[in-house]
Amino acid sequence: MDEQFIFRKQFRQVLAIVIVVGIIGSLGAIFFSKPGSSRIWASILLNNQFFLGIALGSAFFLAVHRIAWSGWHTVLERIPESMTTFIPVAFLLMLLVYFGMDKIYHWSHSSGQDAILEGKKAWLNIPFFFLRLVLYFAGWIFLIRMMKKNSNLLMNSGDLKYHNRRKLYAGLFLVFYAVTVSASSWDWIMSIDAHWYSTIFGWYVFIGMFVTSLAFIILLIWFLKRIGHLVYIRTDHVHDLSTLLFAFSIFWAYLWFSQYLLIWYSHIPEETTYFLQRKENFRIIFFVNLGLNFVVPFFGLIRLKSKRQLGVAALVAAFVLIGHWIDYYQMIMPGAVGESARIGILEICMTISYAGLFIYIIFNSLASRPLVNKNDPFLEESLNYES
Amino acid sequence: MENINYISVSFDDEIPLLEAVGKLKESNEKILDVLTPFPVHGLDRALSMKRSRIPLIGFIFGAFGAIVGFGFQTWVFTINYPLVFGGKPFFSAPSFIPITFECTVLFAALGMVSAMLIKSKLKPDSKFIPFDENITNDKFIILISAEDVESARNRIKLTLSGINIIAIK
Amino acid sequence: MFQSPLRIPLIKGRKTYQSITSDLLNPLMNKPAKLWYLGITLSGTALLFGAFMIFWTVWQGIGTFGENRTVGWAWDITNFVWWIGIGHAGTFISAILLLFRQKWRTSINRSAEAMTIFAVICAALFPIIHMGRALLAFFIFPYPNTRSLWVNFNSPLVWDVFAISTYFTVSLVFWYVGMIPDLGTLRDKIKKGFKKTIYKVLSLGWKGSARHWHRHEVTSILLAALATPLVLSVHSIVSMDFATSVIPGWHTTIFPPYFVAGAIFSGFAMVLTLMIITRKALKLEEYITVSHVENMNKILIATGSIVGLAYITELFISWYSGVEYEHFALMNRATGPYWWAYWIMMTCNVISPQLLWIKKLRTNIIFTFFLSIVINIGMWFERFVIVVTSLHRDFLPSSWTMYKPTIVEVGLFVGTLGFFFTAFLLFVRVFPVIAIAEVKSVVKTVGETHPENL
Repeated sequence: MDEQFIFRKQFRQVLAIVIVVGIIGSLGAIFFSKPGSSRIWASILLNNQFFLGIALGSAFFLAVHRIAWSGWHTVLERIPESMTTFIPVAFLLMLLVYFGMDKIYHWSHSSGQDAILEGKKAWLNIPFFFLRLVLYFAGWIFLIRMMKKNSNLLMNSGDLKYHNRRKLYAGLFLVFYAVTVSASSWDWIMSIDAHWYSTIFGWYVFIGMFVTSLAFIILLIWFLKRIGHLVYIRTDHVHDLSTLLFAFSIFWAYLWFSQYLLIWYSHIPEETTYFLQRKENFRIIFFVNLGLNFVVPFFGLIRLKSKRQLGVAALVAAFVLIGHWIDYYQMIMPGAVGESARIGILEICMTISYAGLFIYIIFNSLASRPLVNKNDPFLEESLNYES
Repeated sequence: MENINYISVSFDDEIPLLEAVGKLKESNEKILDVLTPFPVHGLDRALSMKRSRIPLIGFIFGAFGAIVGFGFQTWVFTINYPLVFGGKPFFSAPSFIPITFECTVLFAALGMVSAMLIKSKLKPDSKFIPFDENITNDKFIILISAEDVESARNRIKLTLSGINIIAIK
Repeated sequence: MFQSPLRIPLIKGRKTYQSITSDLLNPLMNKPAKLWYLGITLSGTALLFGAFMIFWTVWQGIGTFGENRTVGWAWDITNFVWWIGIGHAGTFISAILLLFRQKWRTSINRSAEAMTIFAVICAALFPIIHMGRALLAFFIFPYPNTRSLWVNFNSPLVWDVFAISTYFTVSLVFWYVGMIPDLGTLRDKIKKGFKKTIYKVLSLGWKGSARHWHRHEVTSILLAALATPLVLSVHSIVSMDFATSVIPGWHTTIFPPYFVAGAIFSGFAMVLTLMIITRKALKLEEYITVSHVENMNKILIATGSIVGLAYITELFISWYSGVEYEHFALMNRATGPYWWAYWIMMTCNVISPQLLWIKKLRTNIIFTFFLSIVINIGMWFERFVIVVTSLHRDFLPSSWTMYKPTIVEVGLFVGTLGFFFTAFLLFVRVFPVIAIAEVKSVVKTVGETHPENL
């Protein structure tokens, strides 16, 4: 039970090369692109949001399972726990957006002619935007750190008091996260199309975060099992993860459809412009988004057999991850970059270096502690779990 | 049931029952049926039962429902009685989705339940007589087919020695 | 299956399978208590009163309602949404909690499902009455007719027809399929007579065969998997009755998930109200324990907070949108002539469930009972606020008005309450309130290792 993941030197080197190549590629692409293009900033925002979303989604995964007295997930707890360590890094990278504010958010440099933007000034102004940004991150980092700290204390001492304290912080995190996930998505994404608004938006972004974190957990398990770790994660655990991925992909589609249908049906020009722009100028992306995030997981995982095969689940998870990247793309790019947006070398290289960094940080954190918490009161139950 | 010779072994708990099923399987006895008051966890695996095909039936019925639901609305609004509402096109797929979904669920649910009832031959029967009135209460019974009842009983008694049995008949 | 030692037993007392059967069939076998007669008299009276009011409405026309030109939808749609919402908890408990493998649900799912069915009947009554010519209600179904007309499938009201009839059918089937084994138990327990024949017919010749159990389990799980999106769709479609319009305060994209959360919230409150009475009246305290109540209370905190979050989102976005009509509609809710309704809603739905964070309170039966009623009132007012305050001051100030219900409308509502409780009281007498076979299947798997059971 003291199995340890070793972050080998070759691994580190490969990941470092991936990051560097990604950075060089993006720098090259910037060098050759038109000066003053907003693509670079939009791309940073997109990847930050995407990977931060995975990290936050896994914190949500942990918190909600703990507070619900779940027993099945305990053996794989370390994986989402290490995924959350990306959040402080995401904070630093998010600050980069400051230099691209005028490129991405047209409210940040409005000249006072736009009556609607003037009305929103109390919320949409640069100092308050960054104050909120700091607050969100401070809360997330603090609460997640406390959850993790108590987990470690539990592992070292076996005192159940830490388990209860960890549950308390999970509850606090859920409350804080529920509010901030909505608010942060209004700030960072919805305000790109500053005239447009949709009350469901925060929940839609949230469910995307949860789905991507599930997909990433499945992929990590698949990888770690391939290199011989986590033998005690069995078909039964995989089954439950795939079922969650399946169910919440459908739930994502439900939220997508709720937003689309209501705006389509009511036909109010201020609102329909959002979808009009995406359907006219980003037609392929618009439908690929639905295909990868709903059709693929729905048909890919509907059978019991495929839910119980890690290979199939991992394949679907990979598609879903790409799908949600595209989902963020269609949320951010039409407003931030406009019709000239495309998935080119810049976007791909940027994503590669982000992914390399994300994985590096996760593995680093995974290697720092044993792969299971041997004193978790639910560990035995999780090891013997039958679905 | 009437024309087959069989032996019934009864238990008062599922743990000896599962044990007995395992032993009987090992000694190649032909288990006709196992009657229990509730779904015993692991019994279907012990009996190496094939997984039911009800999910497939549900899927087919659901797909049929979806096609009927969507197709009917499309037919009504494009061919049979095109109707303008709210400036929308005649074929306005988004607003057909809710009813399509409801039809899918309705067809799938009714299809599956009918399949279950038909496959299990469950039907209203005012003359029904249960095998044992306590099966639905606290009794677990294994029915084993036997050519020669007497010798089979002794054989099974031997196989199941050490397991907590209420009666062998 | 190993269970963590932290888990407490689902039911109290060391029960054998036999004692579970006899405990749970007890309420059906004995003569009802005096309290039962009192209850059925009260609810029966309410039902009769309501029936008379229905007759009166159909006879006189809906001019007997307090609605007017500006507020064309008020009391009946409020009650329609309220009842449908209450129904949702049953499906949530039996389907979603089944998929999430929450074993404690086995003690409450049967009665919660029954409650769903009765609540949906109550709900469906209101639109039918509001049609005015209730006898022509079948017009809402698409059937070939001499006018060669179809219903408008693009209308959310027609979606409602499909959603609610599907929901009712699937819930009924789910409930009945789940009950077949227990009907078998009843059949075998009753010695003879007409009652035995009835249960013989109803139990469909259930014999407890392993293969039948297997199919039964597979079907139940799949029905749960179907009922889960179904229950989401039903209240989403109900919310679309409002949200597809262009009326400020109604047209908002958060409505579908927010209505679903609200529905589950109010439904759980109603389940708690009923269960707390039932466990006392039928002496089922060992089966519906304090920890069941606590679990349901936790769901109340979660759903109540989601609802609260939605209220705040609506308020914020109404300001953020920069649309003055949206802004006015929300301000009018909070500070207009119906401010008291808004603040009753806020207090009952958002603030009061937060008290349940305190463990002492959420394990206190009397407090929970009181709170569950408070939440039911709050959720009723939520629908009233959404419907009436969005309508009564429309775009044309000269047509601004107020709405007041008449005695006929109140009578209809009282009548549905009467129907609901009458039906539940009868249900308790003819079907087992707790799923016997399901309780037997979990009694050993949970809490075996807990000190209380050793």
